[in-house]
Amino acid sequence: MGVIATSATVLAALGVGAALTWALERLFLQPRGEPGPAHTADLGRNLDIANSDRWLLPAGPVVALAGVALAMVVVPFGPDLIGRDLGIGVFYVIVVIDFVVLGVALAGWGADTPDSVEACYRIIAQLIAYVVPLGLAYVGVIMMARSLSTVAIVEAQSGLWFVVLQPIGFVLYLVTGLMQSYRAPFLEPFAVSIGGGVLGASGGWSALLWRIALAGVLFLVAAICAVLYLGGPNGPLLPGWAWMVVKTYGLMALMLWLGRAVRPLSTARMLELSWKILIPLGLLNVLLVGGIILLGIGPSRP
Amino acid sequence: MSEAFEIVAFIISAFIAIAGALGMTTTMSMFRSGIFLMASFIGVAGLFILLTADLIGVLQIMMYIGGFLVMIVFMVMVMHDPGGAMMAGMDMAFVERWFSKGLVPREPPHSGHSGDMHGAHGQEHRAHRRDSHPMPQGKAGDHRSHSVHHDEHAGDDHQSMQDMDNSGHAGHAAHHGNDKNGMDMGGMDMSMVTPVRPAAAWLAGAIGVVLVSMLLLRPTWRVVNAMPDPDSARRVGHLLMEKYMVAFEGAGFLILIGIFGAVLLARPSSHPDDPSRAARVAVAEKPEPIADDGLVPLPVPDKQTEHKEHHRSDGHGA
Repeated sequence: MGVIATSATVLAALGVGAALTWALERLFLQPRGEPGPAHTADLGRNLDIANSDRWLLPAGPVVALAGVALAMVVVPFGPDLIGRDLGIGVFYVIVVIDFVVLGVALAGWGADTPDSVEACYRIIAQLIAYVVPLGLAYVGVIMMARSLSTVAIVEAQSGLWFVVLQPIGFVLYLVTGLMQSYRAPFLEPFAVSIGGGVLGASGGWSALLWRIALAGVLFLVAAICAVLYLGGPNGPLLPGWAWMVVKTYGLMALMLWLGRAVRPLSTARMLELSWKILIPLGLLNVLLVGGIILLGIGPSRP
Repeated sequence: MSEAFEIVAFIISAFIAIAGALGMTTTMSMFRSGIFLMASFIGVAGLFILLTADLIGVLQIMMYIGGFLVMIVFMVMVMHDPGGAMMAGMDMAFVERWFSKGLVPREPPHSGHSGDMHGAHGQEHRAHRRDSHPMPQGKAGDHRSHSVHHDEHAGDDHQSMQDMDNSGHAGHAAHHGNDKNGMDMGGMDMSMVTPVRPAAAWLAGAIGVVLVSMLLLRPTWRVVNAMPDPDSARRVGHLLMEKYMVAFEGAGFLILIGIFGAVLLARPSSHPDDPSRAARVAVAEKPEPIADDGLVPLPVPDKQTEHKEHHRSDGHGA
């Protein structure tokens, strides 16, 4: 039945994606690299934290992983390899990834240690920082593709990838995508100085779920970037899924490499960057894309 | 299949919506209260999606996750007891006890006759928690030792929580009766269990009955054959950009001006009101460098100025 096949596809994409992400990090980062996924947390033992909220703390990783898995549904990994082509595809992705923030906030408050509560505040601040410029990075693509569906966006790029037409939007997406996946310059919610935030309060199954969810967020952000700006599964010679995998992992490597090339930003600096630079840049991008569309460049109108 | 699936989805969504609302009104923790309200609205979003209004459903989820998280942060900043730790030891009705299950009751720092003693106890306790942080993080062993410390210092607190879980209020009250350090819980119970509460519950029940009866006794609704448009996003977009363009763009312009104003007015905070928070803010201003990233290291501030700063912030906190 469709539901079962969809669930199997999504879970397989999530599991394979998390494993490959783990391998990619081992290959491209030093062993003492930044604390992205919960690689310092002990998978072997559960933690019993005194004073923790016994409902919210375990709910955190489950909610986060559910968000990632739900968002994976609309990612087209090939011409027919998609969980479900929703009419509101990319908007659905923006919304459903928020569950990761909710999960971190729940677990951070629930663990009730100073560090994890600090992580809860920081991740909410990070949400405020990234959500508006990220939306603006999506808007340029949506304006050109004239649809919210991921499949329609891929089809609109069969002639020319949107990265050529909207380079500003692409850069904007890379920066906000790093914010959204909590990687190198924007890793304050999981910083070492606050003990990894919620990761310091996880162990056993919850550490495993955090590891999959946080690796999955990066994978998902890169996959959506490939769909929005690099034509998704389009490409010569190779089959669609192979192109999608190549593009996704190429983007993940690019994002991790770019992130390590700049100094990490504190939460306050990140908010400043977002509201003073990225949002005006996003509005400028929308304006430029509107002008390009009026000039008649871009995918032909139906 | 599809019919059964719809019914199951409806039951789940409706249950989430109603249980979330009930939890919101009855839990003792304000943080949980916000989360329950969020869950309730997500249940309503599920109902919207069942009615093939997927755009509105997803919009609802977006507004309520982001908005409520921010609202919860403001609530935590303003409220006295956002985690419900002080209220969790109170006399509670069954529903309240159930939705507050797992909250750890903690005594307020200055209460009752032995207020000073409690304050000292709390301070020492906090010092212990903070001490365990500079050690290598994320290791289970570390946390274990932390919780052992914790148990030594707050063994009776923890025990009282266990009692609560096992035997409810009776055990809790008995425990506090025996506890020589126990604060005067009676006064607190009286302050929270107001005589208005049963009346409020009855009023809410009566309003519910009126609303449901209005729904049952309504004149029959017209049944039409028109099917909802599956691509509602396109329809909404056309409406917003054609018929209601002036209102839509006006609202957008207003929000844009609001954003400009917020960016112009924003100032970095220089008044951390809590020494422990001041330490965190200092950390937040100098983020952790990535190991081996090949960048030129930042100039290290000399000890003298750092010490001074620390002193000043301490003075501020006291």
